[in-house]
Amino acid sequence: MSPILEVKDLQTSYGHVNVLAGVSFSVEQGETYAMVGESGSGKTTVIRAIAGLAPAQAGSVKFDGQEIRGLSERAFRPLRKDIAMMFQDPTGSLSPRLTIRNLITEPYKIQGMKDRDLDAEAKRLLELVNLPAHFADRYPYQLSGGQARRVGVARALALEPKLILADEPTAGLDVSVQGELLNLLNDLRERLGLSMVIITHNLNVVRHVADRMGILYLGRLVEEGTTEAIFDAPRHPYTNCLLSANPEPDPDARLERIALKGEPPSLIKRPSGCEFRDRCPVASDICTQVPKFEVTGNHAVRCLTPLHL
Amino acid sequence: MTEKLLEIDNLSVDYETARGDLKALRNITFDVNKREIVGIVGESGCGKSTLISAILRLIAPNTRFRNGEVRFKGEDLLTASERKIRDLRGDDISIVFQDPMQTHNPVISIGQQMVDIQHRSKASKAEKLATAAKMLGAVGIPDPEARLRQFPHEFSGGMRQRIAIAMALMSEPDLLIADEPTTALDATLEVQIIERLKDLQNDFGCAILFISHHLGVIAELCDRVVVMYAGAVVESGTVREIFHHPKHPYTRRLIECDPGHIKERARVLPTIPGEVPDLANLPTGCIFRDRCDQAFERCAEVPPLTRLSEGQNAACWLNHMEEPA
Amino acid sequence: MTDAVAHTPKSKSELAIIITGVARDPLGLIGLVIVGAIVFSAVFAAWIVPYDPIAMNIPDRMQGPSGAHWLGTDQLGRDTFSRVIMGGQVALKVALPAIFGAMAIGLTLGMIAGYGPKWLDNFLMLLFDTIRSFPTVMFALAVVALIGPSLQTVVFVVMATSIPTYGRVARTQTLTLRNSEFILAERAMGASITRILGVHMLPNIIGVLAVLAAMDIPTVIALEAGLSFLGLGVKPPTPSWGALLKDGYALIRQTPWLVVGGGLPIVIATLGFTFLGESLRDVVDPKLRKNR
Repeated sequence: MSPILEVKDLQTSYGHVNVLAGVSFSVEQGETYAMVGESGSGKTTVIRAIAGLAPAQAGSVKFDGQEIRGLSERAFRPLRKDIAMMFQDPTGSLSPRLTIRNLITEPYKIQGMKDRDLDAEAKRLLELVNLPAHFADRYPYQLSGGQARRVGVARALALEPKLILADEPTAGLDVSVQGELLNLLNDLRERLGLSMVIITHNLNVVRHVADRMGILYLGRLVEEGTTEAIFDAPRHPYTNCLLSANPEPDPDARLERIALKGEPPSLIKRPSGCEFRDRCPVASDICTQVPKFEVTGNHAVRCLTPLHL
Repeated sequence: MTEKLLEIDNLSVDYETARGDLKALRNITFDVNKREIVGIVGESGCGKSTLISAILRLIAPNTRFRNGEVRFKGEDLLTASERKIRDLRGDDISIVFQDPMQTHNPVISIGQQMVDIQHRSKASKAEKLATAAKMLGAVGIPDPEARLRQFPHEFSGGMRQRIAIAMALMSEPDLLIADEPTTALDATLEVQIIERLKDLQNDFGCAILFISHHLGVIAELCDRVVVMYAGAVVESGTVREIFHHPKHPYTRRLIECDPGHIKERARVLPTIPGEVPDLANLPTGCIFRDRCDQAFERCAEVPPLTRLSEGQNAACWLNHMEEPA
Repeated sequence: MTDAVAHTPKSKSELAIIITGVARDPLGLIGLVIVGAIVFSAVFAAWIVPYDPIAMNIPDRMQGPSGAHWLGTDQLGRDTFSRVIMGGQVALKVALPAIFGAMAIGLTLGMIAGYGPKWLDNFLMLLFDTIRSFPTVMFALAVVALIGPSLQTVVFVVMATSIPTYGRVARTQTLTLRNSEFILAERAMGASITRILGVHMLPNIIGVLAVLAAMDIPTVIALEAGLSFLGLGVKPPTPSWGALLKDGYALIRQTPWLVVGGGLPIVIATLGFTFLGESLRDVVDPKLRKNR
C-alpha cells in the first residue's frame, strides 16, 4: 500500500530566510504522524506548504501518488475534499460572522455540492464531535476554546477527507479537557480510517495519539521513528532535551534535566556544521562536519554523536 | 515564626455586567509568607486574573469589591490611598505578565526602559545603566552592555521574558507576582527560565506568587500551592501534600489528567467532563458538584474551606465523613 | 486601537440590541430622536408641510414668524417652514444615495486593493489620492459645466468625492484581516476569491463603514448645502437648506429668519447624526470585546 503522503526534500524560503531546508517524511494510510518542534523549527510552515498555503520552492509532495507541490489554486481545489486542515487558534480560525451551521457546511458550498441537505449534514457533524444540535445557531464568540476546537474538527471532517493536517490541536486547551479532544481524534481516526499529520510542541500529546513522529529543528528533521522507540530511547541530543523538559507533577520526582544551552539560532545566519552543536550538551569536535540523516530500520537520526547506540 | 507578607482574607469580587453579577472571586483566603514561593493552580475561569488585578488594584470600572481584605505587610491594600498603591507597585510588589511580546514598549530601548524603572533611585544614569546590565547578566542575557541599546523586537520571546523578570527584580521587591510567565514559551525555554527564577529567588530573597496551569512547573518551583476553581479556593497546602495527598476531587482529577503524570501510552485519556460553570449563574451547593465523580447529597450545600492539618485546607464534604453524628 | 472585526446586525434581535444600546446612552438617544424626526419629516414631507413650498404669495412676502407662518416667509412669499421641511427631504435625497453609492463602490474597490496584487493596490491608491486632491468645488464646477446643475449633479459630485474615504477604510480592514486565521482556513478549504471577499471579508468590514457613513451624513448634507448655496446644486424653486441660506444671506437685514431656517436644520442634523454615529460606534465595538 503506497503512502497517503510522501514529502521529499521540501524547501521553503521567504526571501533570504530558509525556513524549511529539505524536509522528507511519509505517512502511511491510517497512520498518525506527529511533527514535533519548537518555535523557529518550521513545523507550521511544513503543513502549510503541503496544503499549498505557503510557498515551497523545491522538493516533492505526493498525495496518494499525485504530485501536488506547486499546483495552481485551481488544480488544487478538487483535492481540498481529501486534505483537510485544522488550525491552531480555535476561535480565530472560524469566520466570526457566520453561524456554526454555516461554518461547518462551508466545505459543501465551496465544492459546489448544492444538492446536499445542509441542515442534516450540520446535525450529523455536530453529533460526530459530541456537540449539542442547538449549537448550530451559535456564533464563534459564544463558544469556549474546547467547543470551538470541536467545531474545527467537525468542519475538517465534513467531506470525509483522507488526510487531516492538524496544527497544535490542543494548544490553549485546559489540561482537563485536552484528553477529551484527543480521545475524540483517536476515536474518529479509527472509525473513519483517517490519516493524520499533527504539528505540536507538546510531547505528551504525541505519546497518546501518534504512531510515528519526527523531530524538527531549524527546518530539518533531526530524528524520526515510532513513538515508542523515540520515547524509550531517543538518539538525538535535542530529542533527549525535549523529552526531559516536561516536569512531572510530583515535587519529589528526580529531575534528570538535560540542559539545553542558549536560544534557537537565527534562520538568517545558520550555524556551520551540525546546526545544533552550539546548544548541544554532548557536542564535540566532530560536530563541525555536517551530519547526514542515517536510517537504521525504523529509526533515523541526523547526528554524529547519537545517544543509545 | 514565618512572617506573613501577603494575606488574602475572605476576598470576594464581582463584575457588574449586563447579564448580571459575575461572581469572579468568592471568599478567597490564603497567605504568602516572606521568601516563600506560593503557586496558584487553576484553569480558565478560575479567577486568577481577577485576583492579580485586585492585589495590584489595576481594576476594570465594573469591578465591585464585595468583602474581604488584601493585606500587604499588615496594611489593607483595598482601602489604601491611590498614592500608596502607586508607591508599592513596581517597588515592593512587581509583576511579570504572560505575553512577552506585549510587555515592553516597542519604541524605547531596553536600556532606557530599565533606567526608567529606577526612577525612584538617586543614582546617576551611568550607574542605573550599570545596574541594568548586571540584572540582564543575572537572567542570562549574553553581552548585556551592548544589548541595552537594543529594542524589544530585536529579542526573541524567551529573552523578552527574561528581561521582564530582570525588570521586575531590579527594585528588589518583597513580592514578585508572576502571571503564567512561561505559558507562551516552548518547554525547553520554560525549564531554563524556571531554573533561573529559582536561583534569583534564592539570591534576592523575595516571595513569589506564581500563577500557572502547568502542574509540573508548580511542583518543581513552589513551596505551597493554592488550587482555584471557578472563582473559589478548593484546596491549599504544602506542595507535597497537594501532589501526594490531594484532598479535593478537582485537585485529584487535575493531577490525573496532567499529561506529565501519564507515563504509558493510553488508549483513552482521562478528562474532566463538562464545562466550567457560568459565573453569572452559579449552581447551588459545591461549585465542582456537576463535574465531580464523587458527589453525594451533602454537596448540595457549599462546603467551607476547612483546615485539615497544619497548613492544609480543602473545601470538600468528603473530608468530613468521619465527623461524629 | 479598535478591533478589526466589527459587528453588523444580522438578525432582528441583534438590530434590537443595537438600538436599545444606543437608546441607553443619553446622547445616543438624542441623536436617535433627531434623526428619527428628520427621516420622518423627509419621508412624509408632502403630507406635513402646511403650505406648498414652491407656491408664491407676494402679498405675504418677507414676514417674520407668526401663527400662520412659523418661520415667516421669504422674498417670494413662500412659507419658510415648509421649505425647511422639504429641504430636509432634498438633503436626504442627496445624502443617502450618495453615501450608499460611495460606500458600495468604495467597499468593492477597497477590498480589491487590500486583497489583490500590489500593483493593483498602488494603482487604486493613486486613483483615490488623485480624487481627494481635487478641491470639491472645482470638481463640482467642472461637472456642472458638463451636465448642468441639478440634484443628480450634486449626488454625483458628493458620491465621487466620498469614494476614497470608504475605499481607504475598506482597504485597511481588508489588509488587517487578510492574514487572519479564518481567512487562511477558507483558503485551505479552497474558497474562491469572490467567496472570501463576499462572504467572509465583507460582513466584517461593513460595520465599520456603516458607522463611518452615519458620521458622514452631516458632512454630505453640509456639502449639498454648500453647493446649492453656490448655485451649483438643486435648481430653484426646489427648496434646499443651502438655497435658503443663499436667499437669506442676501436678505439678512430684512429678515434673518431665512438664514435661521437654512442654518439651524443643518446644525441640528449634524448634531443628531454625529451623536447617533458615535453612540453606534460605542455600542458596536465593546460588544465584541465583552463577548471574547
